[in-house]
Amino acid sequence: MGRVICSFCGCLCDDIEVGVQDGRIVSVRNACALGRVRFLEWDRDRLRHPTVLRGGEYVQVPLSEAIDRAAEIVSSARRLLVYGLSSTENDAHREAYRLAELVGGVVDNTSSVCHGPSILAVQQSGIPVVSLAEVRNRADLVIYWGANPVAAHPRHIQRFVRAEGAFVRDRELWVVDVRRSETARVADRFVRVQPGSDLEVLSALRAIVNGHTLDVSSVGGLAMSELSELAERMQSAQYGVIFFGLGLTQTGGRHHNVDAAIRLVQDLNSHARWGLLPMRGHYNVTGANDTSTWQTGYPFAVDFARGYPRYQPGEYSAVDMLVNRECDAVVNVAADPAAHFPREAVRHLGRIPVVNIDPKKNMTSLVASVNIPAAVAGVECDGIAVRMDGLPLYLKKAVDPPPDVLPDREVLAEIYVKVAEELGR
Amino acid sequence: MTSVGVRLLLVTGRTVRQGRALESGKLQQEYMDSVAVCEVDRTTLRVLGVTDGGPVRVETIHGSVVVRCRVREGVDPGIAFMPCGPYANAVTGGHTATTGMPEFKGIDAVVLPAPGEGVPTPEELLRAQLEEGA
Ligand code: SF4
Repeated sequence: MGRVICSFCGCLCDDIEVGVQDGRIVSVRNACALGRVRFLEWDRDRLRHPTVLRGGEYVQVPLSEAIDRAAEIVSSARRLLVYGLSSTENDAHREAYRLAELVGGVVDNTSSVCHGPSILAVQQSGIPVVSLAEVRNRADLVIYWGANPVAAHPRHIQRFVRAEGAFVRDRELWVVDVRRSETARVADRFVRVQPGSDLEVLSALRAIVNGHTLDVSSVGGLAMSELSELAERMQSAQYGVIFFGLGLTQTGGRHHNVDAAIRLVQDLNSHARWGLLPMRGHYNVTGANDTSTWQTGYPFAVDFARGYPRYQPGEYSAVDMLVNRECDAVVNVAADPAAHFPREAVRHLGRIPVVNIDPKKNMTSLVASVNIPAAVAGVECDGIAVRMDGLPLYLKKAVDPPPDVLPDREVLAEIYVKVAEELGR
Repeated sequence: MTSVGVRLLLVTGRTVRQGRALESGKLQQEYMDSVAVCEVDRTTLRVLGVTDGGPVRVETIHGSVVVRCRVREGVDPGIAFMPCGPYANAVTGGHTATTGMPEFKGIDAVVLPAPGEGVPTPEELLRAQLEEGA
């Protein structure tokens, strides 16, 4: 078949060629190691049948029975948390918001544990965004700050940074990180900062760019002379871009770090064109923020308890809902909180009923009261996903899902209908 | 027996191997091998008296977990790196400072040799955490 989009990471590579024979994917071209697994092992370790937990054992049931059980859990919950969404397509998101709204629950996507703090910073300070095509064609200085694309977005460098650009000949690649990551090893320059000092380093760079002299000899492990040289080089760029990763959002300063990066870039715009972009991990986490904003007005951590949407990260975000034992049921869509949440949050998953909708067996499937298998979006069903720079792309279907396995959107829609019936709405 | 622990700053993050393994299947051996790891520099390994790949216990104020210790070029003295996943999360706190985001990077940790101790499977790890909550 023609070119398809890789639905693994936020790069959403659109040049993937898959070979299909007798309903199976037999070859993949152009994808990275992660993308290859996405396609070639799409059928490995699947949840093959709906199951419900009965007397400590998982019992295989028909889909309709699993939907009934899920609807029962949702309609009897007093404070439902719907979570996940970043690894599924936009239409599934819509159904998730409808369901949360119907029962006055909370809906959050995985950005609360990746770039949620970036969103908080953007809401405070704005963001001079760039598109990836612009970066490829124009940027002459690219900085990955607290990001390791070689591991998390393997083709990002090749497609957008080390690629030939229409209007740029020489391009420099820097990495700023606390450790010499794989990406640092392929960079033209590696700047090592002390762990937890990104905010200081960014603020020092801002001060220098704004013409101030700092009365210290070093900041965050960097000598003032090096900082001055970095600032000077940044000001002399024609078109600079900072791609920042979880190194900024998951450390102590969280949104303050990102805020400092945004303000540095705003300051640099007095000297040259500069932009910045978060390195979004899950392939459609950007879409989850977009659809959530379209439908509810807010990008994540949304509560419908009062019948209208309210937004409060730190309260309606999934980790807090679990750690504070606020929710009494969870619908998990295309995520794995049991594997990716801190211990304290995982504990609460064991106390409450969990409806798990995912194509694959995962750790949440071992805690769930109901497991409903779903089609792999971008492989077994179509849909829209949004690239890290905001470009919506159409995911194609390459092969059929296993018998009786539906896309997330249809599973959620069926649960919605049942819940609405039960509640008489 | 006395054992020497090393105080380190724990950083978690993505690795290619972890990314491939999680997409392939989280209940497979490969996933466990890719995430039940704590990477340190050569000196730390020597001080711990552990062989490359030997078991260590990573302890923080939030919990402790046994994983395999590996030497990794690029990890500085003073830093321990764990791929994100259930093992790293077993020692991560749930406090988000009202942002929604726990602190996944830069956690004070002590790494201790754990001779003879087995690394739990993801399933065993999960069961233990659920029991704590019960
Ligand atoms: S870089 Fe990301 S989107 Fe591109 S092929 Fe690799 S995993 Fe897929």
